[in-house]
Amino acid sequence: MADQLTMPQTAMPAAGVKIPSADIYAPQWRNFMFVAPFLFFFTTLLVFPLLWGMWLSFHKADTFSSGKFIGLGNYVRLFHDKVFLQSVWNTFYFVLLTVPTLALIGLFLALCLNRRTRTAAVLRTLFFSSSVLSVTIVTLIWRIVFIPNVGLLSTIYGWFGATAPAFISDPSLAMIGIAIATIWWCIGLPMMLFLSALQQIPQDIYEAAALDNANRWQTLRSIKLPSIKRTFILVVIIQIVLQFQLFGQAWLMTRGGPNNLTKPIVLYIYDTAFRRWDLGLGAAASEILFILILIAAMAQYLVTRSRGDQT
Amino acid sequence: MTADIEIRNVNKHFGAMAVLEDLSLSIKAREFIVFLGPSGCGKSTLLRMIAGLETVDSGEIAINNERIDHLPPGKRGIAMVFQSYALYPHMTVRDNMAFGLENIGMSREVIDARINEAARILEMPHLLERKPGQLSGGQRQRVAIGRAIVKEPKAFLFDEPLSNLDAALRTRTRLELAQLHQRLHSTMIFVTHDQVEAMTLADRIVVMNNRKIEQIGTPMEIYERPATKFVAGFVGAPAMNFVEATLDRSAENAAARFADGTSVQTEIVSNQLSDGKHTFGIRSEDVPIVAAGQGNADGVVEVLERLGERTLVYARLGDGQQIVGSDAGNSRVAVGHKVGLAFDGQKSHLFDETGRAWHAREA
Amino acid sequence: MSAPAVSIKGRAFGDHLLLALVILLSIVMIAPVLWVIGLSLKDNAELMADPNSVFHAPYTLKNYINTLGTSSVFIWVRNSIIVAGGLTLGTLILSSLAGYGFARLNFPGRNILFIIVLFGLAVPEQAVLVARHQIFSVLKFHNTHHGLILPGLSASFGVFLMTQYFKAIPKELDEAAMLDNAGRFRIFWKVLLPLTLPAQATLGIFTFLGAWNDYFWPLISATKKDMFTLTVGMASTQTNFAQSEGIGFLMAQAVFAGAPILIVYLFFQKYIVTAVSGAAVR
Repeated sequence: MADQLTMPQTAMPAAGVKIPSADIYAPQWRNFMFVAPFLFFFTTLLVFPLLWGMWLSFHKADTFSSGKFIGLGNYVRLFHDKVFLQSVWNTFYFVLLTVPTLALIGLFLALCLNRRTRTAAVLRTLFFSSSVLSVTIVTLIWRIVFIPNVGLLSTIYGWFGATAPAFISDPSLAMIGIAIATIWWCIGLPMMLFLSALQQIPQDIYEAAALDNANRWQTLRSIKLPSIKRTFILVVIIQIVLQFQLFGQAWLMTRGGPNNLTKPIVLYIYDTAFRRWDLGLGAAASEILFILILIAAMAQYLVTRSRGDQT
Repeated sequence: MTADIEIRNVNKHFGAMAVLEDLSLSIKAREFIVFLGPSGCGKSTLLRMIAGLETVDSGEIAINNERIDHLPPGKRGIAMVFQSYALYPHMTVRDNMAFGLENIGMSREVIDARINEAARILEMPHLLERKPGQLSGGQRQRVAIGRAIVKEPKAFLFDEPLSNLDAALRTRTRLELAQLHQRLHSTMIFVTHDQVEAMTLADRIVVMNNRKIEQIGTPMEIYERPATKFVAGFVGAPAMNFVEATLDRSAENAAARFADGTSVQTEIVSNQLSDGKHTFGIRSEDVPIVAAGQGNADGVVEVLERLGERTLVYARLGDGQQIVGSDAGNSRVAVGHKVGLAFDGQKSHLFDETGRAWHAREA
Repeated sequence: MSAPAVSIKGRAFGDHLLLALVILLSIVMIAPVLWVIGLSLKDNAELMADPNSVFHAPYTLKNYINTLGTSSVFIWVRNSIIVAGGLTLGTLILSSLAGYGFARLNFPGRNILFIIVLFGLAVPEQAVLVARHQIFSVLKFHNTHHGLILPGLSASFGVFLMTQYFKAIPKELDEAAMLDNAGRFRIFWKVLLPLTLPAQATLGIFTFLGAWNDYFWPLISATKKDMFTLTVGMASTQTNFAQSEGIGFLMAQAVFAGAPILIVYLFFQKYIVTAVSGAAVR
């Protein structure tokens, strides 16, 4: 074998000289130029304000300056502020009203509309269509549904000689009214997420189940529901994160009233920071909201992350 | 344009794992070289190192006596055809071929002339305005080759370019590649794990295994005088028969004795062989089937594979050792028959414990 | 995506029940919208006298004419187009460049930077709002178009989406282009970017829609009437809602603002659903 490995006798000009080998995947600073433009905006408009907001929450800040350092003063004020505590409670109440309903109706629609028929496609389009409207339009629509006299609800009740419940002005119903409008607005996303999860179930599992004489209820219980369990958790968490940020519906439908009963945390922040110009207190409230959302986001990350383990 | 390529003492690691160890190789100008080996042997890595797509940890690569291992891929003057073809999906065939030439600022007239010439050679002028998505697998393959041709490179690199084609098209393209090589007179390096492609295309084959070169030689050298037991077993179908044997070195030529007592007189000179254990090797076509008792050994037929021009006979010896012999295409042998196996001493090989091969003196 | 085609007798009743439920939900989806359209076509005085007059003629386009006659509407639409268009363009450019950088190129600190960018997905707008408002006050960015566009450029979602998309393109294309003497930017511009068009469409429509519908930041930053976006401007005219003298007019505004978005949705449904689901799951 040695005779076949002829060593070259001709001298190469650069032989023996150490020249770094060309490496097309080597880390290079000029490659950084591609991400630099985004990172500039990311740093100045997200990272910095995030940190600056934390800093502000320890100060008696106004519109233009951070003012006096008062330590945890703003947080202490928050937890003595009945309106803030009310807004935290309101937010949780709203999340409790909307999230389970959204998840269950979304799941129901997905199960019903997971077909290849034209009708199912049209209905899917219909149920998602409200999601593309702005909050202004959605609240306009629902106020005209709930409003006395010319409202759709009062008109329908009027046919039966009854009086419609006052969803906007009745203290015990106002939040429910906002929740109904929100569910109408947001139902598209959970439905679509469930649909895409259902479509990932391989067709041959259904065929195997059919060969095993499984009826529809059994197919639903032992195939469909178990395979979308994770999606269900995911939908719930996503909706918690989204609905925690309730603002537009409450602001436009009830202005937080009656008696602050529909005032969510974000509306509290808006009021405090941008109507009473107490920026430090507003910043502190937004840090509390951030922590609440971060907990939910972490849960989402863990659920997404562990996806690989089960399948 | 053509060039010789010199690879000297090249090493390559991926993390802690060595991929190539101290590898050297000279490729002559205009040569068609095939890197042959099982997957993971480092053959594609070596090709990509020549192309500049992988770094060289240590060692040197030179083209026409100029070191290129520090040059970026585009500056090495080589062209590569990828296994997946890597055609730009949104560009027409013409634009695919023009892209590399536009990048070096070549004038439109020259580009058009080269593309038309390449299209003529590859018989695809009618495909020039189509996009890759509108082409068949074979046509895409041609475009990939065309994209290499227009660059008039010093060397062509092919990374398993036939493996995505169906069997019939693969055979035809193989033939066309051989013709193309004759026509272009260019250095070509071709990576494959398919020994038929290697045998039919190569001027010389580089058989690689386990981070290093096992043998470099012409197809017939590789086939008839494999340097190692690995090469002997990897090249040729069906694989070479291997039998554990003890040697009788009393005569000028050694004789191999199998466990069942069978003895084969080889034409391998005794005094070059060492003491230890050896493996006897022989290809099926060198074991003709004869009547029972007429050959070196008798065996019972277990399986017959009729290939048409000949019949492979899988026979089991008394001690359970299986030997593949061959008989005429219209062999009358049947499963269960007892047949004789006539080992051709001139075509016998011996392998020592390190895997090194010994052959009969060349005629 | 179809349910198994196994026919079992006796399931007709269950089917009808499900169908009835779905129809009921569909009515809940549509009825409010039809009601709004109906009101928008009615004269106010007639409506006040009897809400049921919606169900019969006479209908009128007067409310729409009045809506278009409100000079501000066109300014708001123009502002919305500038803001949503600018943000979309900016996001596409920044995300494509960064996506290519993170997916294909190596530079010092790449992995840690990408993780930080991903972390940006978890930061809600409210957490940066107060500080951003103060910064923009100092920079005098409020009541300007760029003041409405800039915050959106810091969103990580586009970078995340484009990085994923670039990663899915075979690396051999880059390598072939390198052998073809193309530099990094030329590979990005001529070879890879054209292949990301579906992702550009998805991201573009998603960003545009999000910016068009955004309410919170424009509400805070654009306080002058002629800097309102359509979403904020429409909200501002609803204060006299309770008097209900302008109900038909308000409804015409809602239709005027909602219809284009719904039409866009019908045309680009596929991209919008992909983007929204992708943004949620990420």
